[in-house]
Amino acid sequence: MLKSTIELARYGIPWLGPAMAFLGGLALLAEGKGQWPAIAVIFGSVLSAGGIYSLLRSLRKGEKERALLDVRMLQSHKLASLGELTAGIAHEINNPLAIIGREAEWLEHLLSTMPPAEGVPRKELLESVREVGVQVNRCREITQNLLSFARKMEPIFQKVDVNRLVEDMVKLVETETQGKGIEIVRDYQQPMEPIMTDPPGLRQVMLNLLNNARQAIEGRGQITIRTRALEDGRVQIAVEDTGCGIPREHLPRIFDPFFTTKAHGKGTGLGLSICHGIVDRLGGRIWVRSEPGLGSTFVVELPATPKRAS
Amino acid sequence: MEGEMPKVLLVDDEERFRVTTARLLGVRGFQVGTAGSGVEALEELERNPYDVVVLDVKMPGVSGIEALAEIKRRQPQVEVLILTGHASVDAAVEIMRLGGCEYLLKPCSMDELVEKIERALERKAMKEGSEEKP
Repeated sequence: MLKSTIELARYGIPWLGPAMAFLGGLALLAEGKGQWPAIAVIFGSVLSAGGIYSLLRSLRKGEKERALLDVRMLQSHKLASLGELTAGIAHEINNPLAIIGREAEWLEHLLSTMPPAEGVPRKELLESVREVGVQVNRCREITQNLLSFARKMEPIFQKVDVNRLVEDMVKLVETETQGKGIEIVRDYQQPMEPIMTDPPGLRQVMLNLLNNARQAIEGRGQITIRTRALEDGRVQIAVEDTGCGIPREHLPRIFDPFFTTKAHGKGTGLGLSICHGIVDRLGGRIWVRSEPGLGSTFVVELPATPKRAS
Repeated sequence: MEGEMPKVLLVDDEERFRVTTARLLGVRGFQVGTAGSGVEALEELERNPYDVVVLDVKMPGVSGIEALAEIKRRQPQVEVLILTGHASVDAAVEIMRLGGCEYLLKPCSMDELVEKIERALERKAMKEGSEEKP
């Protein structure tokens, strides 16, 4: 109701003057007061008609926008339900798949340890049972892809303590670096005001960047994680490694999908592209500084409140 | 612990998965106990000592996450590996917060499972070593 009143005032005020001129002119004309009221009537009526036309157009445009929004909402609800359904199915399939895989491994063990017997084509049986394992892995990839699709939802913005979220992910990666000569240095700005962002999205970004940093270090090295709050409330998170660095010619392409310099089968080339997509949806930006042989620093900058969530 | 077979408690509500995985772990040199639910796991841990618990997240009754919290409360020295149907980062964070050391994607191969169990055993040995030498 309030919205409609505001809308009416917004579109109504510009042609209120001409309308008054028209009505005033009409009143004077009725009293027979000559030429000027007639001009006021003509002038007022032209402007009023224009005003009414523009009001109707605006209202119709508003209606169209509302209808479009409804369609988008419906689409997003549909996608959310589809996502839930997909995740449910993929999750349920993983359990029987786990049993099939395990049984195949047990059969393989039995076959490879049993003494050769006449008439038993052991080699073929082993080949066959190994193929079951290969196909189980294939199904696992499919279910994991379905689950990733299900997670590609619109971000849900909420208040987030950046230092805590970053620390959670650092701890997760630390289990992988323990005893491998990689030192993790934390440099968090304290205290830091919470920001409005999507926690699962930001966690995914941090995990990808930290894993990349870990993989860039061959032998001993150091990963430094910095958090900083800028004066306008924006937050920067930097992940710095002392790894191999990125050759200059690769820098313009590192956020491209499927671009990878990792060995075949070691990377899909999607990690940084996914990071870029997520940071973009969170209203922020991501960039890299790198020196071949010295290391790389990835910086994620996020607004205190993304425009679309404000 | 030298010379002794490491003890693993496998907790999963799928009986067939439990039985076959236990057999294969036995072949790989582990002494394996099994439990079909979170409650059974807690009872088994009261009766027998274990080095590592492999815990399925999705179980009827007490969920894997709830069981993890309770196991860590009662026996913080036990290393817990979580088996999960999907690698959600949020679930992983929750697992870490509750003291679970790692999670494994289901279905996982025996090689992956054995590698994670061995790493959990190394971590346990490191922790025990550092506790003995304060």
